[in-house]
Amino acid sequence: MSEAVIKFDHVSKEYFLYKNDKARFKAIFTNNRGVKKHRALTDISFEIHKGESVGIIGRNGAGKSTLLKMITGVSFATSGEITVNGKVAALLELTAGFSNDMTGRENIYLKGYLLGLENAAVKQIEENIVEFANLGDYIDQPVRTYSSGMKMRLGFAININIKPDILVIDEALSVGDAQFRKKCENKIKELRNSGITVLFVSHSVNSVNDTCDRAIYLCDGKIEYDGSVKEAFEHYNLKK
Amino acid sequence: MKIKAVDGFLDIITEHKGQAKKIWMLSVNNLVKKYKGAVMGPLWALIKPSFTLFILWFAFTVGIRGGNSVSGYPRFIFMLSGYIPWFFVSEMIVGGSRSIRQNSQFVTKLSFPVSNIMTFCTMSSLIIHLGMCLIMYVILLFAGYGPSIYNLQFFYYMPLMYVFFLVLSWTTAPLSAFSKDFENLINAIITGLFWLSGIFWDTYSIQNPIIKTIMYFNPINYFVNGYRKSFLYETSIFDGNYTTELIIFYAEFILLIFIGSHLYRKLRKILPDIL
Repeated sequence: MSEAVIKFDHVSKEYFLYKNDKARFKAIFTNNRGVKKHRALTDISFEIHKGESVGIIGRNGAGKSTLLKMITGVSFATSGEITVNGKVAALLELTAGFSNDMTGRENIYLKGYLLGLENAAVKQIEENIVEFANLGDYIDQPVRTYSSGMKMRLGFAININIKPDILVIDEALSVGDAQFRKKCENKIKELRNSGITVLFVSHSVNSVNDTCDRAIYLCDGKIEYDGSVKEAFEHYNLKK
Repeated sequence: MKIKAVDGFLDIITEHKGQAKKIWMLSVNNLVKKYKGAVMGPLWALIKPSFTLFILWFAFTVGIRGGNSVSGYPRFIFMLSGYIPWFFVSEMIVGGSRSIRQNSQFVTKLSFPVSNIMTFCTMSSLIIHLGMCLIMYVILLFAGYGPSIYNLQFFYYMPLMYVFFLVLSWTTAPLSAFSKDFENLINAIITGLFWLSGIFWDTYSIQNPIIKTIMYFNPINYFVNGYRKSFLYETSIFDGNYTTELIIFYAEFILLIFIGSHLYRKLRKILPDIL
């Protein structure tokens, strides 16, 4: 097997639950001693290798979002070691980091920088993005004049075109009309075939089966099952 | 404590490597955002303090006629050279402390080096400050002060002032993000700071030696008087009379770097969870 691009080594994550603002204020000086904690993930270990497509399933509150946040580098583990090798494109918060007062084109650069690209690299993919988003003359208008669908399209176009090594997709995400959706699905398929690693969060057996060859079933912050998609869903449905 | 501070400092330095372009773009965007929809756009950033200055000039040279000079300089000229750095300092202190909370989407939705937030937010204030300094210099030249070789000391005080208050925001911004009390505290004391600093009056002319030394502990005075040394007094940075002030300032600066780095390291990883 090829090298692991994502590696979780006994990762746990706890959130502090402050009773009120006063408790939060106090916590700065007491190093969070005595603050109630919520354990979102407990002792998670897994490896995802290059080119794999892995589905992540689990009920609301099972820890899926926390897991993805740690993979995308937004949130940090309380204990354990997380290794992520490669550029992550997360189709989660598509419009995060957009500046409403800049034009679509300027936002391509801004977002490109935010995702860690160099000037030259953004220039290279600029036309691809413009073409993919298909916003016409609006690309040179301020983003605040966009409809939410247009914003999503631009966000998607940027994230998908930065040549990621790892692609994180949340199925709950809906982008634009059926036509654009189809375009997105095709693009994702194309990327998968080019050998990048895909993480797919979903509740539906069919779409996970279509996309993934492996599934991780999370329940109450623990990995209940890690293996074939079919069996993962058997476990998932069993718990009902 | 010590190790954490060193790690925190190194974190901040690494987070800034190769980010110049991004920081620049974000700080310009920050300015544009503030004055969006206005025809004159970011020019308003210059108009606001200029207008205050005009009022001050009017009040002190037309209105209140008495006591028209401070330490041998016309009151308006004296105030001008103090008010310009003050305007910058107050923007740095208030804006710096708010920066993380105002840009929380960078913390909670993107993998973004948090320390860059403070840098690009305060950089916007720096851009305005440079414009204001230009206006100030023109006024001073017209009034017959300078040009002088001491004017070049500006290029020591100005960047140092920026870095000093940027480092201050390493402490204030994470704390304010954690609890709004800190932000409110800063807003509450900023007006007091104005009068405690030598903007309208000369801290060097205090007779009581103890109070005079105490005033050295206010870093704002170091810069305000530094600007005056560069543009009015024509005194060197290293002038022997002010060695105590220089030492106190740098001691405070180093302490601030320690506290800021420590707090940044300590709070950085919790920030995405609480914002």
